[in-house]
Amino acid sequence: MKTFIQAISQISLQEPLSDQWFSNPHVPQNIFNESIEPDYKRFLSPMEARRMGKLMKRAITTSLDVLHRSHFENVDAIISGTGLGCIDNTEKFLHAIIDNNEDCLPPTAFMQSTHNTISSQIALYLKCHGYNSTYSHRGTSFESSLLDAFVQMKVGDIHSALVGGHDEMTPDYFNMLGKLGYWKKDPFTIDSLKKADTIGSISGSCSLALLLTDSPNQDALCQLNDIELMYAPSITEIRSRMENMLIKNGIALGEIDAVVMGLNGDIENDAVYHQISQNCFPNIPVVWYKHVFGESYSASSFGAYTASMCLKNNLIPPHLLYNSVARSTNISHVLVYNHFQNKDHSLMLLSKI
Amino acid sequence: MNKIVVTGLGVISALGWGVEKTEQALLKGKTFVGKMKYLNTKFTDLPVGEVPYSDDELRELLHVDKNLSITRTSLLGRAALHEALRSADILQNRPKRIAFIAGTTVGGMEKSEQYYIDFLDIHSDYKTEYIALHDCGACCEMMAMEYTGKFDMMTTISTACSSAVNSVILGANLIKSGCVDAAIVGGSECLSKFHLDGFHSLMILDPELCKPFDKNRQGLNLGEGAAFLVLETETSATERHVKPICRLSGYANCCDAYHQTASSPDGEGAYLSMTDALKSAQLQPSDIDYINAHGTGTESNDESEGNAIMRVFGNNIPPISSTKSYTGHTTSASGSLECVISILAMVKNFIPANLNFSEKIPSLSFEPVKNVVTNVTLDHILTNSFGFGGNDSSCIFSKI
Repeated sequence: MKTFIQAISQISLQEPLSDQWFSNPHVPQNIFNESIEPDYKRFLSPMEARRMGKLMKRAITTSLDVLHRSHFENVDAIISGTGLGCIDNTEKFLHAIIDNNEDCLPPTAFMQSTHNTISSQIALYLKCHGYNSTYSHRGTSFESSLLDAFVQMKVGDIHSALVGGHDEMTPDYFNMLGKLGYWKKDPFTIDSLKKADTIGSISGSCSLALLLTDSPNQDALCQLNDIELMYAPSITEIRSRMENMLIKNGIALGEIDAVVMGLNGDIENDAVYHQISQNCFPNIPVVWYKHVFGESYSASSFGAYTASMCLKNNLIPPHLLYNSVARSTNISHVLVYNHFQNKDHSLMLLSKI
Repeated sequence: MNKIVVTGLGVISALGWGVEKTEQALLKGKTFVGKMKYLNTKFTDLPVGEVPYSDDELRELLHVDKNLSITRTSLLGRAALHEALRSADILQNRPKRIAFIAGTTVGGMEKSEQYYIDFLDIHSDYKTEYIALHDCGACCEMMAMEYTGKFDMMTTISTACSSAVNSVILGANLIKSGCVDAAIVGGSECLSKFHLDGFHSLMILDPELCKPFDKNRQGLNLGEGAAFLVLETETSATERHVKPICRLSGYANCCDAYHQTASSPDGEGAYLSMTDALKSAQLQPSDIDYINAHGTGTESNDESEGNAIMRVFGNNIPPISSTKSYTGHTTSASGSLECVISILAMVKNFIPANLNFSEKIPSLSFEPVKNVVTNVTLDHILTNSFGFGGNDSSCIFSKI
C-alpha cells in the first residue's frame, strides 16, 4: 500500500496558508519570532475564535484549510505532534495555582491545557469518531504522528489521516529555554546562521497540517515511501538504517537528489548534521529550512513540507540550498533527516509521484 | 497472521512495586487509597493513591545517583520498566528491533510547579536543569536513560488518561507492520499539584473514597504509578524461548467527539472503541469474561461508560469492576496499569472487586463485582481507558 502527502497547510512566521515562502520568503530578523496570523474569519466564527487560544485557532485553521485543499470532507484518523501542547493554558493554570494559593481556580485553562486538546478539538470540529492520538516527544513529535499514520495505512486500518505539528512559543517559555542556551544572544544574519560558530538558534511558532492518504487526487504533493525514528543511534547505525530504507524502497543512494536537514545555526546541533552528512550522504545537495521557519519542537514538520515542495515543483530554490553541490535539475527522491539533541533522530524518504 | 503476545510486565502503584505485590493487594480486596503523605498541597485531606515510597526511597531502590536531576514520573517509570524488561528477558536475549513507547500527560510538572518562580526569573539559575525535564518527551527519555542504545526507537504519547493504552496500540501496530519486533509499552504519571488542583477545579474529586458505578458517586481519587508491558510476535517469543503470558487479541482507539472533558451520555466513543476492539479480536461480546472498566467514579464517566457497555453487551453483561477503587485514578498510567491488573486476573483466575460500591446507578442494568471472586476461568478480558477530549480506547487480552 502506497502512501501520499496530498497537501500541507501552515501558519508560521511566513505568509500563512500559503506556499509563497518557497519562492519569496520573509527573512527572519528577530530571535523571538511571532507567527503571521491569517484572517481567521474564513474558518472560524468570531465567537469560536474568541474562545480559542492562539495554538488552537492555528491548528483548526490549518486542518480545515488542508482538507479544503485536498477536497476531503473528513478523515479516518487525526494525529497531532506537539512538544509542549497548549503551553499558554498550562502557564495560565500554573500562574493561577501560585497566585491564588490553589484556591478558586478557573477550570477552563486546566481543561484546555492537556496536549490532546488539539487533536480532540479538531475531532469535535469535524465530528470525526475515528482514531485520535497525540504525540509529545521533543523534536520528533511530528515524525511520531506521521509514523503512526504511516503504519496504520500500511496495515490497511486507515486510508486517510490528518497529521499535524503544532507548537507555539510563549515569551515565558522562550525565556526559560533561553536559560538552557536554546537561542542566539547576538544579532544574526543568514550567513552567520550558516557559519554556526556559537550556540543557540532563532525561535519560531509552527503549525502545520498534512493530509496523508493512500488514494491521492491529481494535485498530490509527493509519495511518502518510508519513515523511521531512531533513538541515540551511532553513525554506523544511522547509515545502515538509511541504506536499508533505500534498499527496501528500491532506490539507490545515487538517485537521492537532496537531503533536507534541520540545521539551525547552533554549533552543537549543526556539527551532528555535518558529521552525518559526510558519513551518510556525501556529495548530495543539502537543503535547510529552519533559517526560514525558526526552531521549535514541531519545526521538523517543515522539513517534510520543504521536501514535498521541492518534489512537487521539481526545484530547489537557491535560498534553501545549504551547500554548493551541483546536481541534476530533476528532483525525484528526497531524504529528510532530523535530529533533536543528537538523541532523537528521524529519517523520511519522499518521492515524486 | 503472526499473533502479538505479552511476554513481560512491570508495575508500581499504591499497591506497591511489582506484579507479585499487585496481585496480593488485589486479592486482599481492600483499598490502598488513603491519606496523603508526599504531595505538597494545601488539600491534604483529599484521599489519594500514592506510591508508598518517597523520591529518596525510590532513588535508593532503583540505585539512582542522588545528584541526578530526575522527576518522580521518570522514577516511577524506571521502576516499572526495569521489572518489565527483566521479566521478558528482552535485553540480554533480544529480538532485532525494540521500540520504547511511554504515555504521560504533564511530564515533569511536579518539579516545574515547585520551581516555576525561579524558572521565570531570567537572573536565577536555581533548578534550571529541571526546565529541560519539563516536557513529556524528556520524562520518557529519563525513564529509559539507563538503557540508552538498547532501544531502536522511542516516542511519547500524550492523550491524557488514555495515554498508556494508546501506547499499547501504537506498539501493536508497529509490530504488525514490521517496523519493530518488540515494543515496551505503557505509561507513567506521578501526583502533582497541577493535576490535583485541575481535577479539583472541575469539581470531580471525591472528598471520600471513590465509589465507581455507585448511585451516590462523587468523583474520582487521584493516584500515581507506572506500568509497562512487553509486546512481541509469537514467533519472536518462540525464537527467544520465552513463554508468553497472554495474547493481545484486539484493540481500538475511537473519539467520542462530544466535549472537551465530559463524556457523551450515550457513550458513543466508548461504544465504538469496545465494538471495534471486539471486531479486531474477531470475538463476540459473549466471549468476554471480564471487563476492567475505566470507571473513574465521576458522574459523567460511569453513566456514559455504563450505557456504552449496555449497548455492546445487551442482556449478557460480563462481570465488571473498576480497580481505580484500589489504586486511585493514575491518569496517564491507568491504561497500562489496568492492562497489567486484568492480565493478572486472567492468568491467576480471579476477578478484582469494585470496592466501596453500595447502590446501583438507576439507569444502568448492571451492578459491578462487589467482592473478589477466585477460582474463576477467564479466557478473554476487555479493558477500557478513556481520556479528556473523548480519547477512548479499549484492549482485549486472551489466554494463550
